[in-house]
Amino acid sequence: MPAAAGQGGVCAAMQVLSLEQLKREGALWQGRRPQVAADRHLPSGWSVLDEVLGGGWPRDALTEIISESHHGLPLLLPLLARLSLASRWLAWIAPPHVPYAPALVARGIHVERLLLVRDVSAEQCLWAAEQALKSGGCGVVLAWPQQLQAAQLRRLQLAAERGDCPGVLFRPPRAARQASPAALRLRVRPAPLGLEVEALKRRGGWAGGHCIVPLPVVADPV
Amino acid sequence: MLWLALYFPQLPLEVFTRGRQQAGAMAIVEPAGGRDQVSRCNGAARACGIRPGMALPAALALHAELVPYPRDRDRELQALHELALWAYQFSPRITFEPSLLLLEVGASQRLFGGLAPLLQTVQREAMQVGYSLQHALAPTPTAAGLLARQCPGRRVSDRGELDAVIRPLPLAGLTRDRDVRNLARHIGCETIGELLDLPRPELTRRTGPALSLLLDRLLGMAPDPRPEWQPPRHFGQTIELLGEICHTTALVFPARRLMVALCGFLRGHGGGAQRLQWQLSHADLPPTSFGLGLLDPSRDPDHMLEVFRERIERVSLPAPVRAITLQVDDWLSFEERSDGLFNRADDSDRALLERLSNRLGGQHVRGLRCLADHRPERAWCLCTPDESGAAPSSSRHAAGQPPWLLAQPRPLPVLDDVPQYGGALRLEDLPQRIEAGWWDGFDITRDYFIAHSRAGERLWVFRDRRAGGWYLHGLFV
Repeated sequence: MPAAAGQGGVCAAMQVLSLEQLKREGALWQGRRPQVAADRHLPSGWSVLDEVLGGGWPRDALTEIISESHHGLPLLLPLLARLSLASRWLAWIAPPHVPYAPALVARGIHVERLLLVRDVSAEQCLWAAEQALKSGGCGVVLAWPQQLQAAQLRRLQLAAERGDCPGVLFRPPRAARQASPAALRLRVRPAPLGLEVEALKRRGGWAGGHCIVPLPVVADPV
Repeated sequence: MLWLALYFPQLPLEVFTRGRQQAGAMAIVEPAGGRDQVSRCNGAARACGIRPGMALPAALALHAELVPYPRDRDRELQALHELALWAYQFSPRITFEPSLLLLEVGASQRLFGGLAPLLQTVQREAMQVGYSLQHALAPTPTAAGLLARQCPGRRVSDRGELDAVIRPLPLAGLTRDRDVRNLARHIGCETIGELLDLPRPELTRRTGPALSLLLDRLLGMAPDPRPEWQPPRHFGQTIELLGEICHTTALVFPARRLMVALCGFLRGHGGGAQRLQWQLSHADLPPTSFGLGLLDPSRDPDHMLEVFRERIERVSLPAPVRAITLQVDDWLSFEERSDGLFNRADDSDRALLERLSNRLGGQHVRGLRCLADHRPERAWCLCTPDESGAAPSSSRHAAGQPPWLLAQPRPLPVLDDVPQYGGALRLEDLPQRIEAGWWDGFDITRDYFIAHSRAGERLWVFRDRRAGGWYLHGLFV
């Protein structure tokens, strides 16, 4: 009898082990938890936001940030600060304004890792974004494209997968109606103390997550 | 000593055709016996039944579109010098014979890991440069040259074997001296061996000392000093394009030939090129020039080609191109770090930068740097990406400043002393005062506020204390 019980215990342990393994590999879909394994996410720096994102920014996929007028950059600043420690580029493709170097430095970003692609045509912007994503030479690619067709989005998504590089597209509100292969789509609105973030789509998870990310006026000293 | 002879049997033809991937039927025509005769023809001509030795009218009768070219010996000689530039990577001792290069490889074969890898590299690269090749190896330069012409591929490394290999070869290959050839025919000598068997003093008496000396040199019995070729310090080469090219993509093929030749030159000198100067010649207009910049000195033709492809797309041709020239005036010597590590886009971030700058133009691909100044307009500048300048650590005042700066401050309308941006702005207390620049003509006196718009955006606005207006200068969201 004790022998049999022992055997049963071993069986159960093996089952638990394999289940955990499945979860780790992201092979098991569980209702409320993110399907994707933890190492495929980059923490955003805010726990409230990580929850809405399902663990963090997708590491090898596209994220779309949809807003009225190019909002949402502050959400990425902690990520940029962390990635700028490595030797890869932080590509900013066709940014709408000037990235203000002293303020970025004050937020812990090593600005010498920034690669700005400026004053280019819409077509060149897409080309540059695709090259940057798939090159493997970028830690992250931020792009402010003008208009995107579904096929172009797909190309960028494939490039992100190939280069194992997170790509973030900042897009206008009308883009929300377009179908998209991006792994994550967020709608961002200014809120009194920060930015309000709503997940429109999340790969391997439920949409509709919602939070307010507090943005202190004075950056935390790094 | 071991001499590698490289014989270019199609050189007269290939100086014309190497710029094109595919060429129509063409032939080199030389006068022979008072009429024009086809001396060499390319594959397209051969397919129409044209053979070397045919009279030109007969060849034209077979294929009316055949393009005849007169033989251009100056150009062949120049091509041979260009080939020497390329071959300099295999040996520092190079001499010439007509259509033939002689390289002393006894000393350098070990560098390439033996003869077989060396020959493989030679053959592969010669094809990429655009010439077909026959080779042979022998202990004396004269014998190597003879073997390359007469029995390509032959390798004789020992002087003892040389005699047996040389003897059966026809005499005609050894010398072009008409008197010697006539004499030999009259006394019934066909091969070199039969000539060697003649009593030497009698032979010398009838032909002069030159032939005897040639025979001795052939077998290594007499010294064979040859003028050594000195490579120039600069690289410059032109490919004529056999007709005109209208599309830039068709230039990639001849450009690659030039880059392979360049990389051979660079390897020979132990250097790498960082700036390639290209010139495209047109019929009537002045040539189109452009530079090709590499981030690191390189001598990898594949890498150069990749960058060239990006760059050539931005070139607009005012007219069809007739010739393409590559010029490299300054190259940098670098320590050999192994080709793979140095040239291959191992660090993909450098490769990306190169790719973007060449396609979009350097002024569109920039880096960012902080400057030690309190004025927001002067506190940063664009620079070459990854410029490792002394970046001043940002002072604490920047912590309250926004990540976005407007390129130009935007004037805001004011209503009842309150600046407006989609409704009245609510200003936070404690403005930041920035006063600086009286010394360089860009003098500002501003109070910067953090402001909240009706829509909830957080903005960075300032009041010009001197002129009194309100401006939007940055965005926090």
